[in-house]
Amino acid sequence: MSATSATTARRALLPSGARPFVSSLFAIVAAFVVGGVFLALRGKDPLAAYGLLFTRGLGTGYGVTETLIHLAPLLIMSAGLLLALRAGIWNIGVDGQLLVGALFAGVAGSAIAGSVPAPVMWLVAALAGMLGGLLWAVVPAILRVKYGLNEIITTLMMNYVALNVTSWLVKGPVKDPDVVPPQTRLIPKEMRLPDIPGTEIHIGLLVGLVAVLVVAVIFRYTVLGFQLDVLGRNRFAAIHAGLPVGKLTAFALLASGAFAGLAGANDILGVKGLFQGNWSPAYGFAAFAMVYLARLNSLWILPFAYFFSFLAIGGEMMARPLEIPTYFTEVLEGLMLVFFAVAVYFERKFAPADRSPDAMEAEGMPSAAITAEPIVTPELPVPTGERR
Amino acid sequence: MNAAFVTAMLSAALVAAVPLLLASLGEATAEKAGLLNLGIEGMMLSGCFFGFLAAYQTGSSTIGVLAGVLAGLLLGLLFGFLSISLQVDQTLVGIAITILGAGVTAFLYRDIFGRQNPSAGVDAHLVNIPLVESIPVIGPAISGKPLLFYIAWLLVPAFAFMLNRTRFGLNVRAVGEYPFAADAAGVSVYRTRYAAIMIGGAMAGLAGAFLAVIDLQLFQVGMTVGLGFIGLAIAMVGGWNPWRIAITAIMFGLLRSLGNGLQILGVDVRTEFITMLPYIGIMVALVLLAGRTALPSALGVPYARGRR
Repeated sequence: MSATSATTARRALLPSGARPFVSSLFAIVAAFVVGGVFLALRGKDPLAAYGLLFTRGLGTGYGVTETLIHLAPLLIMSAGLLLALRAGIWNIGVDGQLLVGALFAGVAGSAIAGSVPAPVMWLVAALAGMLGGLLWAVVPAILRVKYGLNEIITTLMMNYVALNVTSWLVKGPVKDPDVVPPQTRLIPKEMRLPDIPGTEIHIGLLVGLVAVLVVAVIFRYTVLGFQLDVLGRNRFAAIHAGLPVGKLTAFALLASGAFAGLAGANDILGVKGLFQGNWSPAYGFAAFAMVYLARLNSLWILPFAYFFSFLAIGGEMMARPLEIPTYFTEVLEGLMLVFFAVAVYFERKFAPADRSPDAMEAEGMPSAAITAEPIVTPELPVPTGERR
Repeated sequence: MNAAFVTAMLSAALVAAVPLLLASLGEATAEKAGLLNLGIEGMMLSGCFFGFLAAYQTGSSTIGVLAGVLAGLLLGLLFGFLSISLQVDQTLVGIAITILGAGVTAFLYRDIFGRQNPSAGVDAHLVNIPLVESIPVIGPAISGKPLLFYIAWLLVPAFAFMLNRTRFGLNVRAVGEYPFAADAAGVSVYRTRYAAIMIGGAMAGLAGAFLAVIDLQLFQVGMTVGLGFIGLAIAMVGGWNPWRIAITAIMFGLLRSLGNGLQILGVDVRTEFITMLPYIGIMVALVLLAGRTALPSALGVPYARGRR
């Protein structure tokens, strides 16, 4: 009894809105500690590394600018990922969808660049990117809805297919014939997305913010968002309530594909200007870890996305002087997810009675403890041959 | 030319099938016990790297392979701790382990070897089988392969026996189908599941070690390119039956080695089309078999004692 009141008192110290993020914070700190030990074992000075990471990544104008540029695709992608994960759909194919979207945007944009006003070209390229990403989610969506095939495996497989298809397209059919390397025609710098006045950050960042806002509005104010949440919380309840489960599932997959495609278009229009054969940014893992640390909460994505973007940029900036491979960022992301899993366990263990795992399971929410927003988290995946 | 071509194709397919077979046998055991191991890709990649590293440092392929197995086993243990003891969502744990495996191996490889891509340069212990050797067409495709190649194929009957004919196999199926009943009957659900995921991890590590130490003798960042995930899907397509898994693995081995075959024939197909065949093939195979295989009922469901 005393233990219970102690936990309640301890939990009451924190505002309820931020409380679930204690676990995320723990995951981040623990990942940094273990990552530091890892660095030390490799004969590097972790304090120097983290010092450089923070001073350069957060403390220099260049670091902040690069972080904000890198933030745009992360925001767009994780907004889409959130849409899928909240509906209980594991779209792990966002990287493939991004590649196809980027290629579509590169081709469409360069085809009309110069012959139409730049904003029209941006719009066409962005729509082409969304279409590309959406198309890449069509196969997993059909397989899931028509054949009950687990989307985890199909979206994963589509990633590898995307790598090969885009690599072939950019070497052949859509290659810029005037240059040797496999790439699409260059969109001239002056026709790419302009910078936000007074900064060196292209306006794609605003697109990213809007994307997050759109998803937040969907989940907070619309019936669609409510239905997606119900689906994610309990698939069978959704079926019983007569919700269009098939349509919602397809929507979640296709929409997150379109968002990923838009993220690809953003990189083409804002940074790269062309699609290169061996380009594979693989934001997917970072986006995945980040959306989970943000407890599938639409607005909390913003600070976490900034943090992950900073990690990627700061990781690159500390890499050269200290000779630490940039893959260290990926090590940290993996550790964060592992420790997040541990934290979720303790959170459940010390949860007040009414939110105990038993009560939750009775309501049919096996992993509900992961989410922070009013509603909730993906159900467990239902693999192949889903019954009913 | 035809006989030589068939021999070459069969030989390449059987070798290309081995990593898929090994990963899939382990995954089948884990899935039978109710654990969907999406960390398999990270475990396999760790098997590749730590196997390669140990082989490179010691010059012994045996030590390399053992190191790969150990790496997979330890990650399997981590998966077990998070998903069995802490009852965290298996998909989340699996993805975490895959990210971790990819990150750690890439980091260490670049940190230790810099921009170099050395060969492990170890003895793969090729074995010639006296009588089989002289069988026309098939013989040369089967004989003269690394020792681990034969061990891998011998693991098929071994797993079939283990899963279908032993008490452990029975327990594995019980905790995967109905853990509450298994628990009530005195079977430790936790212990059985831990054993199953450790086998799954070790086999994924072995698969990676075969790839990096025996077959290619080198490591590349992200070199498993989804082979672990394909192995996971093969376990499902093969209905968790080692014999059917072996046949499915050979089919996908054939798809993996199709590029070389077509090159020998002089057919000009873009490599990208060949490379993506296994990924498309898995989706086709899953569609054809969807709904026809009965999943272990408790697959993906954490077990908490005394919950129900």
